[in-house]
Amino acid sequence: MDDDEAVARSLAGDLDAYEVLVTRYSAAAHRTASLLGAGDEADDVVQEAFVKAFRHLASFRREAAFKPWLLRIVANETHNVTRSRGRRTDLGLRLEARGEPGGPEDPQDAAVAADGRGRLLDAVRRLPEREREVLVCRYFLQLSEAETAEVLRVRLGTVKSRAFRGLKRLREEVGRELLA
Amino acid sequence: MSSSPDRPDDRPDERLADLEADLLALGESLAVPAPPPSGVARAVRARLEREASPDGRGREAVPGSGPGADPGRADRNRWGILRRLRPSPRRVAAGVAVVLAVLLGATPQGRAAVASVLRFAGVEIHVGEPGPLPTGVPRPLPGERRVTLDEARASVRFPVAVPTALPEPADVRVADGGRVVTLLWPGIRLDEYDGTLGVVFRKELGEPWPEEQPQIRGWWIQRPHGVSYVPSNGVPREERVAGPTLIWQRHAVGLRLEGPDRARALRIAASVR
Repeated sequence: MDDDEAVARSLAGDLDAYEVLVTRYSAAAHRTASLLGAGDEADDVVQEAFVKAFRHLASFRREAAFKPWLLRIVANETHNVTRSRGRRTDLGLRLEARGEPGGPEDPQDAAVAADGRGRLLDAVRRLPEREREVLVCRYFLQLSEAETAEVLRVRLGTVKSRAFRGLKRLREEVGRELLA
Repeated sequence: MSSSPDRPDDRPDERLADLEADLLALGESLAVPAPPPSGVARAVRARLEREASPDGRGREAVPGSGPGADPGRADRNRWGILRRLRPSPRRVAAGVAVVLAVLLGATPQGRAAVASVLRFAGVEIHVGEPGPLPTGVPRPLPGERRVTLDEARASVRFPVAVPTALPEPADVRVADGGRVVTLLWPGIRLDEYDGTLGVVFRKELGEPWPEEQPQIRGWWIQRPHGVSYVPSNGVPREERVAGPTLIWQRHAVGLRLEGPDRARALRIAASVR
């Protein structure tokens, strides 16, 4: 069952079809909620988003892709949660304690690489929220610029400019640390 | 113009490209814990069902499901929930799934305490004290007649599904005015029926419980058990013994496959077109 068929059947009230969609996009929804800062509340955010998406399915344009439409709802729910708890959103994530997949690796190289990733992640965390969100969508969620624009409810040009500013800021931050 | 490599403004595009690659690699290495998708799907469905119920009753509101509860009373209450969901056949089918989730998705303690009625894809499963197996011999379903596959397709209101893992059925029957289509192969029986109509078959069984088969969203009943056909008047006909059976729903069609072992049954079910 492809997304189009599942959406059509869900619209007709077929919950089996909607379960197919939930199962298909559950992981992407969780990743989005977590990386946009839902933290411990990611599970609730994702459930709420799927329930809302079902209720608003009629407003989904059929020629569009389901995934960014859904992730937009996830991002909005995440914002609601982070706003309501009244603190700055944070990347609720940790680095996985594993080396790069494939091939033997010098433990020292691995440590250096992990250290580099940790510093880069810290720098991403410190970015202004708007730039950070764009970079999270583009590079951690691997969304296209157009999808990022849809998910974050901003214009394509805004995505481009925020991504550029964020990247520049990161480059300066990381570069400064390396020199220090 | 400086050529120092430490100057960040040197060849900015290339440097940003490196950074983009680093960010992608960083993203790949980020662990984001997430619950199993099937669990999320079930939870979402339960919420949608709860909201569909007029008085908002849901899983927590199901009375009599605690330890020591009177199973009969619990069943009546569940039937009540199903009745309230009756407005559309789809609703009924969906409501059935919630009841299943309540009973089988609950804790092991909850399972042990509930002797109950599961309704799924047109099959009502009574789970409780294992009684003696019925002695009734297999009889044809009411109004059962032999037809060709094409005739069967023409005479029922639901799409007749055929497993591609099996050859052409040796025998095809239509029964009860097109309510059930049965495809038969040596040692294998596949009943198909409108899974949104209400109860078509009724099964009596004790432990072990039916096992959920998430890959086809169905249930596997591993033990021989009593099965009776429930005509549209709702009064079950006499029981017969059924072997291990796989029950699942494909679109609006309920299917029960009797005969093969679980692995083969799942392969056959997955091949249904």
